[in-house]
Amino acid sequence: MTTSRQIYLYLAPALLMTVVFFVFPLIFVLFVGLRDWDGIGAMTYVGLDNFRSLFADPAFKTAVVNTVYWILAGIFIHTPLGLLLALILFKKPAGWKWLRTIFFLPNVISTTALAFLWYFVLHVSLGLVNNGLKAIGLGSLARGWLSDPSTALYANMVPFVLYVGFTMVIFLTQMSTISPELYEAAEIDGATGWQKDRYITIPLVKNAVGINIVFNTAFCLRMFEYPLLMTGGGPADSTLNLSLYMYRAMVTANQYGVSMAAGLVTVAIGAVAMLLVFAFIRVWDRKR
Amino acid sequence: MKAVRWSIIVLFLIVMIVPLAWLMLASFKTSPELFSAPFKLPLHWQWDNYRSVLESHPIPKYFLNTLTIAVVSTLLAIAVATLVAYAFMYAFKFKSGWFTLLTFGIFIPTNAFLVPYYFIVNWLGLYDTLFGVALVYAGVSLPLSIMIIKTYMESIPKEMIEASTIDGAGMHRTFFRIILPISYPGMTTAGIFLMITAWNELLFASLLTQSEGTRTLQVAIRFFLTTFSANYPVAFAAMVIAVLPTIVIYSFLSDKIIGGMTAGAVK
Repeated sequence: MTTSRQIYLYLAPALLMTVVFFVFPLIFVLFVGLRDWDGIGAMTYVGLDNFRSLFADPAFKTAVVNTVYWILAGIFIHTPLGLLLALILFKKPAGWKWLRTIFFLPNVISTTALAFLWYFVLHVSLGLVNNGLKAIGLGSLARGWLSDPSTALYANMVPFVLYVGFTMVIFLTQMSTISPELYEAAEIDGATGWQKDRYITIPLVKNAVGINIVFNTAFCLRMFEYPLLMTGGGPADSTLNLSLYMYRAMVTANQYGVSMAAGLVTVAIGAVAMLLVFAFIRVWDRKR
Repeated sequence: MKAVRWSIIVLFLIVMIVPLAWLMLASFKTSPELFSAPFKLPLHWQWDNYRSVLESHPIPKYFLNTLTIAVVSTLLAIAVATLVAYAFMYAFKFKSGWFTLLTFGIFIPTNAFLVPYYFIVNWLGLYDTLFGVALVYAGVSLPLSIMIIKTYMESIPKEMIEASTIDGAGMHRTFFRIILPISYPGMTTAGIFLMITAWNELLFASLLTQSEGTRTLQVAIRFFLTTFSANYPVAFAAMVIAVLPTIVIYSFLSDKIIGGMTAGAVK
């Protein structure tokens, strides 16, 4: 007979790992966030001092604002581009399976490698972009994309914004579940390609829109490699984000307390972002 | 309309292919050539760039380290996730509460756990070991692995468990004899996802290791920029060596890999 005791046997390993890697860390982050600690010596309780110094630090403000920009770029540029490509490939142009495979490739190569690649693509003197501009006579537009404070943040986001393979595949997967009869009926009524996209495909993939926004938001909150490798957070901290801020506070400055106060803010921003996204999806659901 | 569609496709193809092709070409040039003729084919193909990378860095060692971490973390996470997913095939008290507890981690930005993970790994005496990194990867990816495998097991008819129980088999026997053998596709899907995420991870690998002996490929790539700063083509060659195996494996298994990577999102 199956007893509940046997069931707990199957739950136990996962419970242990969840406690070690999620429950304990959450408590520990709160604990360390209220303390002054260099990672080696004793911890001293300092109340909200770490948070006060965070909010007084202009670099932290930049890191929060930039992280929000990343999330917005994910929602308003990356996701629509993924939808656009999916709509095009859904019409099954010649070689669409190949195209799907090629567009997904950057999601298999590490972000570290892509960051390295784009560091050179946008490099001021040997970069592909600047040399390309010179070759077509637009040399005056060439600049140090990653070292100019006015473009560095956007240049930093370029690979993420353009590599939409993952998002596209999520859309395509959901599109493949739409009944072909809907399109046949629309064709009989004389609908154009764009009308079919607008009135059939897009409304029927709104689940995928939600999933993509959730995934991209989580991805942007964790974003670390592009800022670390392409700009190092510079120039003048203008491309700093929360991951890099926490990493620096911990590894470079040995301020573990400050790092985890920032960690707590990150978890909070994540929670707020997810709530907003889910609320938005619910409102959207009701409208239809 | 067709022309518009194809020009969009071509634009995206250019963004995908040209940078990679440019990097590969540049890895065969000399340093002065890289600056003077950025778009030309190399005058003499410099295989020496590749030789000097392999001579100066234990690249095979980095591969082996990364592979070890990826395999160990994947096996661990799959084993744990499969056990839980099986438990969820039965009815028990507070089932949905348990599910929430075990999967809420999907929504946590785990980069906020730098200090706790560092602390845990140190406390276990696993700092600067491959197993320490693998353990953290298994822990971080566990919630999504549970989701993927549980979703797969939900497609198994409950009657199979009932029939097995009527035959007198207990919960353990039913698991090993009936459920486990038919759950491999779900486990493979999760495994692909876990392998690729582990292979590509940088943040925790740089945090939890420091010596050359435990360096992963991604951490090595991070250092290519500084160690080869005097000679960019050599850095490019290092980069090509580091990503080429991934591209080759992907070209053979692209459908499986795409399915595995997106399984956590498509439900």
